Amino acid sequence: MAITRADFPLPDVDDSLTAGFFAAPARGELCIPRCEECGRWCWYPPETQPPHEARGPAGGRRSRPEEQQVCPACEGPLVWTRTAGRARLFSWAVVQRAFLPAFADMVPFVTALVALEEDPAVRIVTYVVDAVPGSLHGGMPLEVVFRPLRFPTVPDRQVVVPMFRPVA
Amino acid sequence: MGASPDWGRAADYDDVSGRVAIVGIGETAYTKASGRTAREIGAEAAERAIADAGLEPADVDGLTYNGAFADFDVAAFHEHFGTSHEIWSSPWGGGMSWAGTAPYLAAQAIGAGEARHVLNVFPVAWATQRASMTGGPGEVHAAQSLKQNLEVPFGWFPQPVYFATIMRRHMIEFGTTEEQFGAVAVACRRHANLNPDAVMHGKPMSMADYLASPYLADPLRLFDSCLISDGGAAYVTTSIERARDLPRPPVVVQGVAEGLSGSGTHWSQQADFTSTPQVFSAPAAFGTAGLGPADVDVLTVYDPFTVVSLMQIEDMGFCPKGEAGRFVEGDTLFHDAGKLPFNTHGGLLSHAYVLGIAHVVEVVEQLRGTAAAQVPNCEVGVYGGYTGAHASTLILSRDR
Ligand SMILES: [Zn+2]
Repeated sequence: MAITRADFPLPDVDDSLTAGFFAAPARGELCIPRCEECGRWCWYPPETQPPHEARGPAGGRRSRPEEQQVCPACEGPLVWTRTAGRARLFSWAVVQRAFLPAFADMVPFVTALVALEEDPAVRIVTYVVDAVPGSLHGGMPLEVVFRPLRFPTVPDRQVVVPMFRPVA
Repeated sequence: MGASPDWGRAADYDDVSGRVAIVGIGETAYTKASGRTAREIGAEAAERAIADAGLEPADVDGLTYNGAFADFDVAAFHEHFGTSHEIWSSPWGGGMSWAGTAPYLAAQAIGAGEARHVLNVFPVAWATQRASMTGGPGEVHAAQSLKQNLEVPFGWFPQPVYFATIMRRHMIEFGTTEEQFGAVAVACRRHANLNPDAVMHGKPMSMADYLASPYLADPLRLFDSCLISDGGAAYVTTSIERARDLPRPPVVVQGVAEGLSGSGTHWSQQADFTSTPQVFSAPAAFGTAGLGPADVDVLTVYDPFTVVSLMQIEDMGFCPKGEAGRFVEGDTLFHDAGKLPFNTHGGLLSHAYVLGIAHVVEVVEQLRGTAAAQVPNCEVGVYGGYTGAHASTLILSRDR
């Protein structure tokens, strides 16, 4: 049960289930899995429970054809697909207490659920940045920005992730 | 109400209405860190429940417990009591949602002739264990890969943060106010102050105190949140016929149901973000009981945060969806004056964080007429269990 990854709470960018999400910011993209057959956006990525042996030496999962993720509705192939990077603020919290030591220097911060413009049923957990918490309201339009995520407890490591800010 | 929502379902349960009864209850002390193990706590609760039922340990031939913790399983039972007889058991009992569904397992086992007296036990020593847990009770969540990658790095962790966003969404959709969340916390504390067994006994809280309590994750305050405690409880279920031969007045199981959310523990993706699987569970349980929310004299619900109480009150049909904030204002939830006496022992907020097992014991006490904050003429009581992914509804009544 214990978390053994030394870079926790940074995301494991090699985890095959979510690798496409964390690879996209380098191209300036916010990508979500989409079914090639029926066009449905599938979020969270459906868990295909890859076998333990498929994990590489570093603990990451190698992408293999038999691990192709499929649409829960029609079993069509899922492809990480670029979105317009627009969303609406679904809900948020202004976190005042650091529940993990990694967040001690970050509080207070705004963690949020944002509903994707292409399909509001897709809710992305993210940070809302460049906004005073008191100015936030339900449904406000947001746009993606790509910012490095760093934690003082994980020195010399960062991951660029999608965050959101109010549309000017 | 329109068509049933499609983001979850009721589990397929048989109707066990009127077949079994709870005949014994046992509780340990409820405390902050005690230094005791959960196994020791479980043994004490079991011992007291068996004695309360007027039984001997050798009479107990069924045991339900939580397999994820397995703190008090069959081996622990035999070790503690020095017994060796055959015991039917299921790891799908214990606390949380399963504190409400364990009587169903008992009814099935008793009906099939597998057991006669079934003990359900749930001990907790999280106050003692907390220091060694990553993120406290959030540790189990932090170990899930999707949460580890898509939630924790973005600060959406642990439970106080999830439920702060659920609170905010309830405020956005329904206009719920901070004072309305506070009304739940104040009512629970009022009841704890009438109950010498409650951890927060002797610590009154006013609405002003609630509003002055610090935010953990705005809009969620410290006083919206459950305690972290050590303690445990147990109860014994047997057939209705056998129950009538035992010393305590039988508390009859009138309905049990379980609701399941299709999004599991991924709350962020649940279509109805401000609902619980009680929307599936409660109608099923009331249906088999032949009762409705208006018949209920006392309600206890698993209440890790005030918003979970508001959502379940709505989802169980005590008021329309979105109106629980207005519904709970004033004295609605008070044991002696209220329209819906609620968490009359103090709940997870002010009694103890023993994950719902004490909520079931409280309903039994109320129906026996022996509760600390006794509801007058209490004939029907309900427990609402919750884990996020599951909800359960247990409807109990006095014997006819
Ligand atoms: Zn499809």
